[in-house]
Amino acid sequence: MKPKVAIFDFASCEGCELQIVNLEEAIIDVAKLVDIVEFREAMKESSDDYDIAIVEGSIARPIDEERLKKIRAKAKILIALGACAHLGGVQRLGNRFSPDENKKEVYHMARPEDISDGNPYFKEPRHRALDEVVKVDYTIPGCPINRVEFAKVLVALLTGKKPPIPDYPVCVECKKKENTCLYTVGGVCMGPVARGGCDAICPTYGGECEACRGYVSHPHEKAQMDVLAKYGLTAEEIMNRKTMFTSRYTEKKGGE
Amino acid sequence: MKIIKREDFKAFVNALIKDSGLDVEGVKAKGEKFAFGPLESADDLRLDYDVTLLPPKKYFLPQYEQLLKFDLSHPFSVDRPEYPRRKVVIGVHPYDIAAIRQMDSYFLDTDISANYLRRRKNTLIIGCDVMKVQEKAFFGSMGTGVMHSGYDLYLTDLGDRVAMEIGTEAGSDLLRYAKNIREASPVEVQKVKAMREAMAQKASRGLIVKPTGWHDLLEKNYESEVWKKQSDKCLGCGTCTLVCPTCFCYDIQDDLNLDLKTGERLRTWDGCLLRKFTEIGSGEVFRDDILDRYRHRFHRKGRYLPDRLGFVACVGCGRCASQCVPDIADPVNLINMLFEASPHLVQDSLSDPHTVRTDLQVIQTGDDAKMLHMPQAATIKRVEKLSAKETMFEITLDSGKTLGHTPGQFVEVSIMGMGEAPISVSSAPNGKSFEIVVRKVGDVTSKIHTMKAGDKVGIRGPFGRGFNVEGLKGRNILFIGGGIGIIPMRSFINYVLDHRKEYGEVTILYGCKEPCEMLFSKEVASWSKRDDIQHKRTVDKCPDGECWDGDLGVITTLIPKVKFDPKTTVAVVVGPPIMYKFVNRELLKLGVPEENIVVSLERRMKCGVGKCGHCQINGVYVCKEGPVFNYRDLKNLPEAFK
Repeated sequence: MKPKVAIFDFASCEGCELQIVNLEEAIIDVAKLVDIVEFREAMKESSDDYDIAIVEGSIARPIDEERLKKIRAKAKILIALGACAHLGGVQRLGNRFSPDENKKEVYHMARPEDISDGNPYFKEPRHRALDEVVKVDYTIPGCPINRVEFAKVLVALLTGKKPPIPDYPVCVECKKKENTCLYTVGGVCMGPVARGGCDAICPTYGGECEACRGYVSHPHEKAQMDVLAKYGLTAEEIMNRKTMFTSRYTEKKGGE
Repeated sequence: MKIIKREDFKAFVNALIKDSGLDVEGVKAKGEKFAFGPLESADDLRLDYDVTLLPPKKYFLPQYEQLLKFDLSHPFSVDRPEYPRRKVVIGVHPYDIAAIRQMDSYFLDTDISANYLRRRKNTLIIGCDVMKVQEKAFFGSMGTGVMHSGYDLYLTDLGDRVAMEIGTEAGSDLLRYAKNIREASPVEVQKVKAMREAMAQKASRGLIVKPTGWHDLLEKNYESEVWKKQSDKCLGCGTCTLVCPTCFCYDIQDDLNLDLKTGERLRTWDGCLLRKFTEIGSGEVFRDDILDRYRHRFHRKGRYLPDRLGFVACVGCGRCASQCVPDIADPVNLINMLFEASPHLVQDSLSDPHTVRTDLQVIQTGDDAKMLHMPQAATIKRVEKLSAKETMFEITLDSGKTLGHTPGQFVEVSIMGMGEAPISVSSAPNGKSFEIVVRKVGDVTSKIHTMKAGDKVGIRGPFGRGFNVEGLKGRNILFIGGGIGIIPMRSFINYVLDHRKEYGEVTILYGCKEPCEMLFSKEVASWSKRDDIQHKRTVDKCPDGECWDGDLGVITTLIPKVKFDPKTTVAVVVGPPIMYKFVNRELLKLGVPEENIVVSLERRMKCGVGKCGHCQINGVYVCKEGPVFNYRDLKNLPEAFK
């Protein structure tokens, strides 16, 4: 019997789910391996009966927490899909400010009673990664995810192999692709501490790495910050680079 | 020397490109930098480049290379990769030619890699003189600015003309694609020579200690504060190793397709600066500290490879120096810093026979080249669960041959789609089959735990140096095994028991954490019944409800409880790293000579044939020179018992 897979989303742009759809012809092979029973972005059916839950998005409000816990209770395996589920996403930057400050900034046209805590959709939004709420079995990092890697993780799960998420910096794949290091042409990049597996797609097209896949397991953070300073960044600019996707690590250290 | 006009040279390159049987690669602009890549027109060729981002090593050891293909829908089906196409690489600088020759010596020395040899034999090298020196290059200091061989053709750009030197018959043969070639005049020959030497001069950067002195300098400064000072700035990103023309270390990965049937085993570049480089299945990382990794890279280049192959593995291209973001990878700076931090050293006193060898011959090989990573089919005959984590598998090779191992050696067990794991052979060499005991820790070992009699696995090996079973005949032997250390040791114990009369007094000490972890319990029980050996066993603790008939306490507590003559007994010690520290200390205290202590060490033996670089303890390859070592040979290796 093929394992049943359900794909869910929380606070996110759903771009990672789109990457699954973007597998194109390979999605037919995926469908041969698993039964997709729920996937809001690609099909209208839904089901409460699944073995593997693949979850995109960050967990912001009590109602999200509750829904995720229900998913966790039903799934044998729970996979965090993408940077929002893995790290809390870019939206986690909002955690630097109070919910009220955020609401004032974003919904300043709304009537206060509509966005108060009395409305569950607006209650105390604080963005968290999935594993800060429930147990997560596997994580597919990235913003968006690398769809080739998604397929590899699926293959690994079905064959009892540890999902092949690399634990080396982006520089490794960047060098193998023979890219010009951004630092050598006046740029900066988080590649030396960021987790690889993306095939260095941003530096390949001239963009700097923002560590959307989080850090490697043992980042040489101090050396990285020294390098950013050496390359002329101000403390604020360094902080911005450090928090774009990875404020989770800073929050943990009580830095914010 | 030949001379060809520029437009005729272009026509020559375009004629090569036109030949559909040839892949023509050359140096092209890549943004503000340069890179080797497929040439579509002679107009793209840039012989005026300073240095390429990656060295041409990528043509001989590609970033990703298929080692084999497999198909799981058949019992054991592995296939060779396709034969590489014929290539011409245009514009290789002399320092990169020197690096390719070092690579030849590395891959074509012993255990000749057929993958490498095929690519090497099918690739013609057209060298060229350096016209512009990159700021960080120091090939002039390394003696690699001028090469007299190692190329098929060699070019010097003279503006309106190009000078060509013929290096090989194959190179000469290429000239049939060219028109209007004439002999160079003596003036032209002189001009080329002068240009070349001037360029080599230019690429010297105040290296205080000549390459011939690096070995000494590094050896005497292993503990220098410079390592800490520099490595504190290291990002551990691996760039210095990835862009290096003389870094050859690689990893091996299996890639199973979405059909869950077909797939390939890939070789990909790895680097010793990366933390995972020394990680083994159980999660232990042997060079966890960045200082150790940073230091290892320089020592491998300046000491370990020179000791092994006779050359300093640096050609002065300056790639690491120019691409290291915190600027700590530059060999010139590092060597100078080390020298300046050790005022007691006199420059001239630093000497050793090693140099940057540029005269290495391409070893002519025929049939002795092997697909080093190709496993042979084998069948599991019997499965026996020994404990919660360990299971024994009896295996026979499908070829009908015996494994032919020495006790203490290991094999690489292959499960297609999962990968390979180094596993020691735990049976004595008798009969057609052999036994391995596998602890469930990683992908391969977990998968094999699900296998049953009749299932197929791949086997490579036996590898490494085992116990000196012949040389120890007649000697008294004290076996001290801790935990799963008993697994490799059992192959020797059983050999000794099979040939009991040929050895002197035999004592076996065996310790585990708890009774449930004891392996080979029936055999262990039989040791107690024998009157021709002494045997004691112990557990650290015995939880309530478990039966235990042996001693209580750590393994060292057994040593005073048995009688042996320290002067004449050879101690064979195998166990976890912590055990060596205490047991060896105890044995030395009792007066067992260092050369009479034999140990077996565990490292990440990925390739088994001394190529991938993962299992190194300082300069020693555990997969070749080990896993069995004499304590005397290890005690001067700081990384051995760290």
